[in-house]
Amino acid sequence: MSSIEGNETIIAQGVKVEGEFYSDGNVVIDGELKGSISTAMGLSVGNSAKIHANVSAQSAVIAGEVKGNINAIDSIELLASSVVTGDIETNLISVAPGARVNGKVTMGKVSSNRGDEVVDNEE
Amino acid sequence: MYCYLYDELIHDNKKYEKEVLRIENRLTDLGITGKTSRLALFRNAEEMIRDEVDRGVSTVVILGNDDTVKKILNVLVESDVVLGLIPIGPNNELAKLLGVPEGLDACDVLSARRVEEIDVGTINNRRFLTGVSISDFKAELMCNEGKYRIAPTTKSKLLIRNLDEYSDPCDGMLSAEMESVVKKGVLFKRNILKKSILPFKSLAIRSDRPITVLVDGDEMEGTRFDVGIEPNVLKVITGKERVFAS
Repeated sequence: MSSIEGNETIIAQGVKVEGEFYSDGNVVIDGELKGSISTAMGLSVGNSAKIHANVSAQSAVIAGEVKGNINAIDSIELLASSVVTGDIETNLISVAPGARVNGKVTMGKVSSNRGDEVVDNEE
Repeated sequence: MYCYLYDELIHDNKKYEKEVLRIENRLTDLGITGKTSRLALFRNAEEMIRDEVDRGVSTVVILGNDDTVKKILNVLVESDVVLGLIPIGPNNELAKLLGVPEGLDACDVLSARRVEEIDVGTINNRRFLTGVSISDFKAELMCNEGKYRIAPTTKSKLLIRNLDEYSDPCDGMLSAEMESVVKKGVLFKRNILKKSILPFKSLAIRSDRPITVLVDGDEMEGTRFDVGIEPNVLKVITGKERVFAS
C-alpha cells in the first residue's frame, strides 16, 4: 500500500527524490527527481524542476525539464519553458510556443501504465 | 467515572492553591467530580492511571501541563479512556491547540464533553502528539518501504507534523515538511525558503552520523528513526476554540 494518500505532495527546490515515487494525490515538483513518478491525480512540473524519470499521471502541466516518457491519461500542457526529451502519450495536448519536445507524441486511447519502466532517452 | 490527576507541579505549589480550590468548586457545581490522584516524585504515573482504569475510570482529567500528558500518553492510548485537560501553569501548548482555556474556564469545556479521536505519532516505538523536528537536516527520508528516498540538496530543516495549527490530527496521516534554503537572483543572490510537503503514514529517517531529533520538545539521538502513525487512538475533550486544522 502506498504511504501517500489523498493529499498534495510538494517537492520543492532544494530537494531531490530518487526511486519509484508514487502518490494518490496531486503532485507538484520544483526540485529534482530520478527514477519514476506515478500519480493517480494531477502532476505539475515547475520551471526549476529537473525530472529524469518516466512519468505517469491523470493530467500533467509541464514547465520544467523532463527526460523520460510521459503518460498523461486526460491531458498534458507543455508551457513555454518546458523541455521534454521522451515520448508523450495523452488524449489531449496543449503546446505553448517555445516549448521543446524531442520524442514521439501519441494521442488517443491512453491508459495508466504507472510509469514503472524507466526508459533513458539520452540525446 | 472521572479521575482527576494532579501534577506534582500543582499540588506542591502554593501559587496554585486558590485556583485549584476554585476549580474543584466549579467541578462540583457542574456535577463532574471524581476520584483524585496526585503525582509525586517516586510514583509511576502510568501505573497509577492503569490502576484507575482497571477500577472503572473512563475519563482522566489532567490538572497540569504538556509534560503531565506526556507522562501518561501510553496508558491513554492503550486503554479506552477519554483525556480531559485543565491547564494550569506554564507549558500548556497542547491545551491551546485543543481549545481548552486555562484554569477555571476549562471546567466548562469538560462539562460540554466534546470528544474527538486524534492520531498519535510514533518514532522508534515512542509516541508523540504534536510533532518531530530536526533543525539541521542532512539525512534521508526513506518512503513507501524504501521504494524512494528524499534528501535535501541545500541547508534544510525537517518538521513532521501531527497536531498543530496547520495539521489535521484526525486524518490518519502525518505530514513531513522540509524547509530548504535556496539562493535566488543573478547578481545579488538572496536566500529564499522553499517548502516541500509530503503526507505519509510511515517513513524512515536514515543518517550516516548521529542526529538530534526533537520529539514533542524532548531530544532523541540516533542514526535511524522509524516514524509512523496510530490513527484516531486518543480520545480527547476539545473546546470550540480548538485551533488545529480539520
